[in-house]
Amino acid sequence: TAAAHGRRQPYRVAELARLMYDDMMSTAEVLKQWRGEDDGKDNVTLEGEQDDELFRKRREVEDDVDDRTIAKHDYAALEAKWRDTDNIESLRQRFASTRVSGANGE
Amino acid sequence: MATAPAPAALKFTGSKYLVQRLVLATLTGRTIKISQIRSSSHTSPGLAPHEVSFLRLLEAITNGSQIEFSYTGTTVVYKPGLITGSAAGYGAQGGVIRHELSAECRRGVSYFLVPLCLLAPFSKAQVNVIFTGPGVITSSTELGDISADTVRTAILPSFRSFGIENNLELRILRRSNSGRDGRGGGGEVQLVFGHQVRLPKTIHLMNAGRVKRIRGVAYSTGVAGANNARLIEAARGVLNEFSPDIYVFSDVSSAPFVPAPSKDNPAAKKKIGLGFGLSLVAETNTNMLYSADITSPPAGGEAPEELGKKCAYQLLEAVEQGGCVGAVAAPTMLTLMALGSEDVGRIAMSKDVLGSEQVVQLARDLRAFGFSGWGLRDGDEEDEVVVSVVGRGVGNVGRKIT
Repeated sequence: TAAAHGRRQPYRVAELARLMYDDMMSTAEVLKQWRGEDDGKDNVTLEGEQDDELFRKRREVEDDVDDRTIAKHDYAALEAKWRDTDNIESLRQRFASTRVSGANGE
Repeated sequence: MATAPAPAALKFTGSKYLVQRLVLATLTGRTIKISQIRSSSHTSPGLAPHEVSFLRLLEAITNGSQIEFSYTGTTVVYKPGLITGSAAGYGAQGGVIRHELSAECRRGVSYFLVPLCLLAPFSKAQVNVIFTGPGVITSSTELGDISADTVRTAILPSFRSFGIENNLELRILRRSNSGRDGRGGGGEVQLVFGHQVRLPKTIHLMNAGRVKRIRGVAYSTGVAGANNARLIEAARGVLNEFSPDIYVFSDVSSAPFVPAPSKDNPAAKKKIGLGFGLSLVAETNTNMLYSADITSPPAGGEAPEELGKKCAYQLLEAVEQGGCVGAVAAPTMLTLMALGSEDVGRIAMSKDVLGSEQVVQLARDLRAFGFSGWGLRDGDEEDEVVVSVVGRGVGNVGRKIT
């Protein structure tokens, strides 16, 4: 997906610093662009909004979804992810004690 | 700066981030006008019951706040007063404010607790509030609220880095899950926040460290305590792989009784808030915290084994994201940093935590309230960003005036 033409490498910190305070973009748009997910632009933008730069305006009212503190998760995907031994191994380094020193015989 | 000839009201739209904006308004003393609150909704336009209740809570812990609603409730103008906390004479009795939540409330009590904690350090007197009534849900909720346990174990300790650590206590006096169809509960919690400061200390949190232990609370309310054992066993099944130091407390309580007056029997009561849930917190050797919450859906139908696993996976995600603050506490930490003295505070955050809509919107809202913009640079660890925040030294507008 990073192949989008002229699109720089995603998740660059400088890019986020630049986009974060761009009031012409909604927070969702900022994050999409930062993550390099906006290649499918036409599918995403609402009708009549992709017309012209001139008419591009910030969507004032976001969908009135309630504020969440805990993000929604796709638990089926998470279960698959955390059953994968490679993922488990790489996460181990975020834990202090345990079987680091190769005691687990990997 | 925010004093003298009153600056024009800051204008916002929509119901999203309402609480965040009301909190920032209170902290800075700026009047705000929020319009188009669910104005496109045909069924329930305007402020929701929990939002009105939050405004009433603000009214209770401040002196001189003015709140005006439009007829439809889709516009509210809030002119904040001084944060007086539970000082005698302003609706507090015996130094305690009782805040009643109506049976209509769908949000967990953390929806009120977290912003209240953010205001409390800047209060004139200590904050001591009991949340009571038929709308107090102490568990986490499907609307994404964390449990009161997580507020106690993952939010309150994060004030420590800012030099705010004495006499902070959150007592869960009676537990409750969400009522049927997610509405109401019968719990009771008391927040005592007795450490008031002029300005929060400037923080420099650069080392996330490694997770050294996992703690948690499993709760069963009005259902068999065996649910707790099953939750804990399932969570351990996932987490034992990573950490040998896991301890999850098990709390079993009966379901609360709340008044349910009917025509025949005005004194009737009913049980509410049955269910179970799990709150997990991972702590690193540099005292950073990551949390996870899960709760049984109000309609039931999910086994504790499933939920226990889910909660563990959620915690692993948070640990994997890393950084010096989990997503749940990030807005609180970043706001406290902005309120600090005019010095540069730094925190290494996960790209995933920083790159969330909520945090980006917080950056924008802070700027709208006159705080400085954040500086971002690459962190030492992969996927970490160092966020630099210059405090504005406006920590305690209220007390400056008095």
